[in-house]
Amino acid sequence: MLRHVLGLDMTRRALWLFGKPGPMRDYYREDYPTLDTAWCDMDFLAIDLETSGLDPNTDEILSVGFVPIRRGAVHLAEARHMLVRPTRPIPERTAIIHGLLDGTLENAPPLDAVMPEVLKAMSALVPVAHHAPVERAFLSNACKMLYGQPLVVPYVDTLRLERRVLERRQEAISNGVLRLNAARQRYNLPRYRAHNAMVDAIASAELFLAQVAHMDTKKPPRLDEISVG
Amino acid sequence: MDVELIEIREFIARHHPFDMLPERALDQATGSLRGLYARRGKRLYQTDDAVECLYIVRTGALETRNPSGELLARVGEGETVGAGALLHNGRAINTVEAIEDSLLYAMPAETFHALRTGFKHFAYFFQPAGGDRLRTGRAVAGQAHGHHDHGPANAHLDLMSMHLGALLRRAPVTISPDATIHAAGQRMSEQGVSCLMVVDPSDDAGHPAGILTDRDLRHRVVAKALPYDTPVSQVMTPDPLVLDADDYLFDAMLLMTRHNIRHLPVLRDGALAGVITNTNLVQTQNTSAVYLVGDIFKRDTPEGMRDALDMVPDLILQLVETGASAHNIGHVISSLSDAATVRLMALAEQRLGPAPVPFVWLAAGSQARHEQTARSDQDNCLLLADTYDEAKHGEYFQAFTRLVCDGLNICGYVYCPGEVMAMTDRWRQPLKVWKSYFAKWIDQPDPKALMLASVFFDMRPIYGNHALFHELRSFVLKKTSGSKIFLAYLASNALSRQPPLGFFRNLVMIRGGEHANTLDLKHRGIVPIVDLARVYALDAGSEAVNTLDRLDTAREKGSVSKDGAADLRDAWDFISTVRLRHQALRIRANQKADHYVSLENLSNFERSQLKDAFSVVKTMQGALATAYQTGRM
Repeated sequence: MLRHVLGLDMTRRALWLFGKPGPMRDYYREDYPTLDTAWCDMDFLAIDLETSGLDPNTDEILSVGFVPIRRGAVHLAEARHMLVRPTRPIPERTAIIHGLLDGTLENAPPLDAVMPEVLKAMSALVPVAHHAPVERAFLSNACKMLYGQPLVVPYVDTLRLERRVLERRQEAISNGVLRLNAARQRYNLPRYRAHNAMVDAIASAELFLAQVAHMDTKKPPRLDEISVG
Repeated sequence: MDVELIEIREFIARHHPFDMLPERALDQATGSLRGLYARRGKRLYQTDDAVECLYIVRTGALETRNPSGELLARVGEGETVGAGALLHNGRAINTVEAIEDSLLYAMPAETFHALRTGFKHFAYFFQPAGGDRLRTGRAVAGQAHGHHDHGPANAHLDLMSMHLGALLRRAPVTISPDATIHAAGQRMSEQGVSCLMVVDPSDDAGHPAGILTDRDLRHRVVAKALPYDTPVSQVMTPDPLVLDADDYLFDAMLLMTRHNIRHLPVLRDGALAGVITNTNLVQTQNTSAVYLVGDIFKRDTPEGMRDALDMVPDLILQLVETGASAHNIGHVISSLSDAATVRLMALAEQRLGPAPVPFVWLAAGSQARHEQTARSDQDNCLLLADTYDEAKHGEYFQAFTRLVCDGLNICGYVYCPGEVMAMTDRWRQPLKVWKSYFAKWIDQPDPKALMLASVFFDMRPIYGNHALFHELRSFVLKKTSGSKIFLAYLASNALSRQPPLGFFRNLVMIRGGEHANTLDLKHRGIVPIVDLARVYALDAGSEAVNTLDRLDTAREKGSVSKDGAADLRDAWDFISTVRLRHQALRIRANQKADHYVSLENLSNFERSQLKDAFSVVKTMQGALATAYQTGRM
């Protein structure tokens, strides 16, 4: 992989240099803060996807929800929820989980109309997601498919942060304790009844703030202490 | 705002004052919010910091302390901090710290100010706590609920809020369907009723089979010359229209007007509970108190009077339901105690013969102030003319006061635990002795003297020679209005009972961070106001004993500010109304009326109004402390 040789930042530089004009090149023009920036001095975008399944190579994005975190505050006014029209029928087993049915998505814009907006929102921000590998893989695949380039960016994974907290406390990590709602309960965060990509993005944004507040570091943690490349 | 911020919007909309915002403004408010997380121990801001938003607690709790570190308030879910700073040019006056891990929503100052400008309910809520906010809040709530301000003219019946059950006076007078109309007529004149309920004795449910009115006797019997042995079932109106005790007075009026009927049976749980007549409907609540006073005067024994006075809880319930003011209810209930006392004295005189020397019976405490609600302990004393000679007359008055005090005890006004009663030798004395008592209390105000003073400065003549009382009163007032030292002690005593700081979740916050599960409305709300009014009144040399009257005359004579008097008046009225409503609910649930209200039973609006009332009391207590420099004592 290119980024293993060049490192994350150089890779993004190269992708911008060689990229074709369009949403992807615009995205790479704006860089995120350097890794030694204190978390509270920078901005993030909490993001969540609903997908038709778990395999990024065969399954599709059905909805995208995001909300920016600026200077330690979740900016609810900028929260967005966008539905995506899939190219294939949605498998019944996943429809039960996210409640998105073919009928709901029939009039939604296709992925190539939604992705430019997502990239614009992500521009210069570090994404935050609960179990980030899913978001990373699906978004990167979408970019490759639409623009011929992967989406290379460090992520904050609130699930990973939570695992680290529990491991340091030497607590047993049983089934379910790392789930979004279970993790939120440990920080006295409210339980949200609704379940969609935007609510989950807000939920992981709040979880992220709580996790950082509970890190017992003398100085505010830096980006490289909380993100994964 | 994305429409799907519904979770947050719903949360905001559940809490006061956001619950008073229209839909569009709620959307605007929700869309402006930022989520923040504060770990326990995190300081949000401290005195003099710049504050740029209003903080709404979503989960967790915050604590506010003043610059000297004194705890001012704790706020939990749905409550806010920061309004004070935003209204103070964005500069923090106090320090706010998270005492639990908390998720907060921050509303930017510009949204906060825009909502204040746009919505007066919202602006009122964030006005500095106190009298203005108490008043405007009540006025706004009155408009919102379509109620009129409870002024002195509240003798009207509140048709939409009064339940029929509250109007039922006596058990229905019934007759069997096979009784003769002669028997029916006899029964009606014996019982003094204008209608009979016809109930089949074999019907266990007690459902009315028919109704027979005096109009029926005229039209269906006399006009048709039916024989007197005609059975009731032949002339009654079968299956009469009925309503339930839970139906509103308004329903009854509609039904009776529509069908041109004057009597309406009322059922409770399916069984006949009583009859509403059109005279009931035009009577105001005070007539039933007048009726009760009349009833007391007809009784010849304390036990009989007790039976009549058993109506008092129902009367309170009815008065509260008709929206009578706390001031009026206090007068009505105290006048019943007066009636019982007077009747007992008349009975005692019948038994012992006329009194050998002039005397006057004085009520003390809440009865004297016309502020009784549920029946309470008796507080009274006897003032005798100076011609009283213990050796000659002692025995008579001992027996006389014993009869009255025992009688009051039987009636439910139990013996005063502190023995402040006319049957106690010390409190049954001639004028000169009473003068020496007051002189001593005023000249040497020790704690015991102050305690007694607060009882005996609230005195009202009930029966006997009022001139004796007037002489004592002018002596006392002349002495107190000159004695700054005594007034300072009395003021200091008036500050000993403080209102709570506020509420936190379902707990009452008391100075120093203590908690209580219930709010003692009497000692934490009403007594502090009564004590303040007493100091103002004595300072002004006023004869008034009723708290609102005292505030009025003290204001006229300048011993309390105009605004201060108005604020305390509203605070007293509001707290007393909450207490009465609480007591009415207890009475309806067949419980003893007390002064302890659980916070779960208070609406957000009532809580916020109570906080304002307490804040008025605190402000006035502070002003009194400054005026009399009570800190020096």
